[in-house]
Formats: sequence, C-alpha cells, structure tokens
Amino acid sequence: MAFESRTNGFLHIVYSEMVGLSIGEKYFIQGGIAQDLRTDGRKRLSPRPIFVETGNISQSNGSARVRIGATEVIASVKAELGRPSALHPDKGKVSINVDCSPTAAPMFEGRGGEELSSELSVALQRCLLGGKSGSGAGIDLSSLAIVEGKICWDLYIEGLVVSSDGNLLDALGAAIKAALSNTGIPRVNVAAGASGDEQPEVDISDEEFLQFDTSKVPVIVTLTKVGRHYIVDATSEEESQMSLAVSISVNRQGNICGLTKRGGAGLDPSVILDMISVALSVSERLINTLDSQRAAAEAGKDEL
Amino acid sequence: MSSKETWMRQIRAEIGVVAKADGSAMFEMGNTKVVAAVYGPREVQNRSQQLNANALVRCEYTMANFSTGDRMRKLKGDRRSTEISLVIRQTMEECILTNLMPRSQIDIFVQVVQADGGTLSACINAATLALANAGIPMRDIVTSCSAGYLNSTPLLDLNYIEDSAGGADVTLGIMPKLDKVTLLQMDAKLSLDTFENVMQLAIEGCKAVADYIREILLENTKQLQYRRGT
Repeated sequence: MAFESRTNGFLHIVYSEMVGLSIGEKYFIQGGIAQDLRTDGRKRLSPRPIFVETGNISQSNGSARVRIGATEVIASVKAELGRPSALHPDKGKVSINVDCSPTAAPMFEGRGGEELSSELSVALQRCLLGGKSGSGAGIDLSSLAIVEGKICWDLYIEGLVVSSDGNLLDALGAAIKAALSNTGIPRVNVAAGASGDEQPEVDISDEEFLQFDTSKVPVIVTLTKVGRHYIVDATSEEESQMSLAVSISVNRQGNICGLTKRGGAGLDPSVILDMISVALSVSERLINTLDSQRAAAEAGKDEL
Repeated sequence: MSSKETWMRQIRAEIGVVAKADGSAMFEMGNTKVVAAVYGPREVQNRSQQLNANALVRCEYTMANFSTGDRMRKLKGDRRSTEISLVIRQTMEECILTNLMPRSQIDIFVQVVQADGGTLSACINAATLALANAGIPMRDIVTSCSAGYLNSTPLLDLNYIEDSAGGADVTLGIMPKLDKVTLLQMDAKLSLDTFENVMQLAIEGCKAVADYIREILLENTKQLQYRRGT
C-alpha cells in the first residue's frame, strides 16, 4: 500500500485524505467528466475564473495574490544583494520556496505540509529556472547581475498556500508571474574605481525602481487524467480521483519551458502530444487574462 | 483625548476567506494582515488527548517567510511561535463553551501574512471572527488591542517601528459584553499610574474593535438571510 502511494505522488495522498468521498460521489465525478459535464458545470477543458491582485505585501519588492475558485495563494518576491556563484559570475540567483499554511488544511499543521511544499517548490523551480546551468530559464538571470563576479541580486520568491481547492501548481505559477511583473528592483549605483578583490561600494536608490521584465516568464497548465479523459484546472475532489497529472509550463512565445508528470499510471505517447496542444491554447488564454488583469489594476492605480 | 496618539490604525476584516474551513476570517490592523481558519468541532485526532467533558481546543500560529521586513529563515515551531500559539489558545479557550462539545476537537490556525506590530491582537481578532463564522458557541467575543508608552505619551495600537523604540507595550484582550479581561501582557516597565492610563487606552481600543467586529458579523448574517430568501 505504501509503495503504491509513493508512485502516485504525494499530492494524490493529500487530496484523498482531505476529501472524504463516498463511492456514489466518486462515480458521479468520474461519470460527469466522461460526459464532459463536471460537477460545477464546466466542460473538461474549461478553467475556473482567475482573480489576480498585485502589490498586497508592501514590505516585499513584488507580490501577488491569486484566487482560482476556492484556491488562494500569495507570492512574494524579495530582492537582496548577494554574491554570484563562481560558476556563473555574470548571473544573479533566484530561489523559489513554497509553504503550505495550516489554514488550508489541518494536515499541514506542524511539519505536515513539508512534503507537499517541497514537491511544489521543486516543480516550480523546474518550470521557471531551467536546467542546472541556468540556461533556458524563464527568468533572465543575467539581468540580475550588478558587478560581474562580485555583486548580484538574489531574488527570493516565496509562495504561500492559504486555501486549497485543487490546481495549486497553476495558481502558484500565475501568482509568481504576477508578483514578478509587480517587482521593482532598486537602481544600484556602483562606485567606480574598485580594483581586484575589493568589494565595490554600492548605493541602492530608494526612489528609482526598474520594473522586472517578465515577458519570458512562463505560466503552468496542469492536465489531470480522470478515468479515460483529462481535464484542465481540477478541483481537489477531482484530483482525488486522478490517475496521473501532467503539468506543462508554456511562455508567451508558445515555447514549452518545462514538463512534469506525476502519478504512476502509464500514458500513451500520442496522448502527451495532444495534452501539449491543449496546454498551449489554455496557457495563451491564461497569459492574456493575467496581462489584462494587471493592466486593469495599474490603470486603477493611475486613476487614484 | 482625541489627539492622534489615541487613534487606532485602520482595521479591515473579511469573513469566509478560506472556503474549505468550517470558519475563517482575515483581519487587518494597518499593515498587519492575518488569516485565521477554524476546523471543528470534529473528531479528536489523537485519542490520548481526548477530553470526556470538554472540547479540545488547539491552536497553531505561523508566520509567512515574507511577513517581516527581513526575510526570515523558516523556523516552524520556534519558541516565539509556540508561545504565541499557547497564548491564543488559552485566550480563545476561555470564551468557547467547550462543555457543549465533549470529546471533540476545535483547531484554530492563524497565519500571519504581513507583520507590522500588533500581530497578537490581530490574530485574536481574526480567531474570534473565524470561530463565529464556524458557528462555535461562545460566551462572548474576544477582542484585542495593544497600547504603549513613548516619550511620556500613551499610544494606541503600536506598529513595528513604535514597538521597537523601547517603550512599554501592553497587549490586552477583553470580552466586551461580560466586561472581563482575558489577556494581559506587558513588556518593559511602567509606573502604576502610567500603566493604568495605558491599560485604559487599550480597553478603549478593544471596545472600538468589538464594535467593528459586531458590525461585520451583523452584515454577514444579513447576507446569509438574504441568500436564504427570508
């Protein structure tokens, strides 16, 4: 039993435990999905409406709060000065960390949420930060360098899951993208004439901020297979019935930036290509929604 | 006294922010933002802790990594969090009618999203709203506010900078209808007369929060009535 659970991934256990479903309810969910009519009336490929709010954490350089149905997540971006790694002296560093708050589920109390938190953190890192060399990252790390080999920006991206009703990865991906677009990196003036091994003096401006470029940051779309069909934007009830899930991160240019498959069930290779094309169209709509909500929020702020 | 030192920061509350919880609320005092979620009454998870005559009340206080000005290394279960969890639990346990729900468990989870002074007060206010939203029977609501003393002036509702300035910080929790103090904490020292003034100021603050909380609860009940069609 323990071995089966392992291969199914921790998310599956989380949702099975959180949601107590009777056999009738399980058949209802599976049957509805098979007939393209889910319990909340959506079609298989329709996502729930997404609401984005940025700038809610005033102490961070950038922040966003995203609500998809009853799922609510907060992302915060903090920038601190640091030293670039010896392997990549011309690049800054980004770390992504997710925390599941016990408010989302009693099982996240104490250290209960650690496994899910690390699974989400790793999946987000894979989708947004590219390979080990830093190449192919959705976030342009060289824009974070200040003085090659000596000073760079370290971005700390923190995600917090406040309330959970499925599709945490997509919500976190959207929140991080929105938080990054809200992030202002202070302008840094480097004192000239620093030689050799000395740390140059830097002056961080309190007033001038550079908006972070997020045009290449991807969004994540998760497709969940229930029975013989797959759905977009699953609720936690639907996720408890899943056999596998594929999360695909896509950027505005339509390039795939990362792919994660969770769950022990096997998947036909032709189905994967199908899922990718669905993800491409869903991600396009998602990126447009995020951009229009951000534009509307900024227009609202300008009016004030 | 109606000078600016006796003003509270702006408060804002919202009920039902965590849809899956039995009761939840978000409470903001100035820049301090706190989310509280209540799960219960439900079956006791750990049989050895079960109480035969009362409900078991448990509480956990967590701070987000990004909640303070400096990014903190996540220390779940560090001493400060444990102490605050204990204080919140004892305060809320006082007002819940635990004898009506024997052999059950009520979990109160409080998550600090942004901290700018007065986090304990905001947590207690949020927990009160969340418990009311969950329909858990209580003797009275519990409201909390902090007050301090800086530059020979009593100040109401300190933010982080004022709190760190070295003056006294009194956190008070009262049950307004019953007119009883359930929580009283103070650090630094104050003369007895000054303390009386500061405590009186904090009581005024608590009563103001109580009026606001009652308004929110009334509004919420009207919404529920409206949705029921009565």
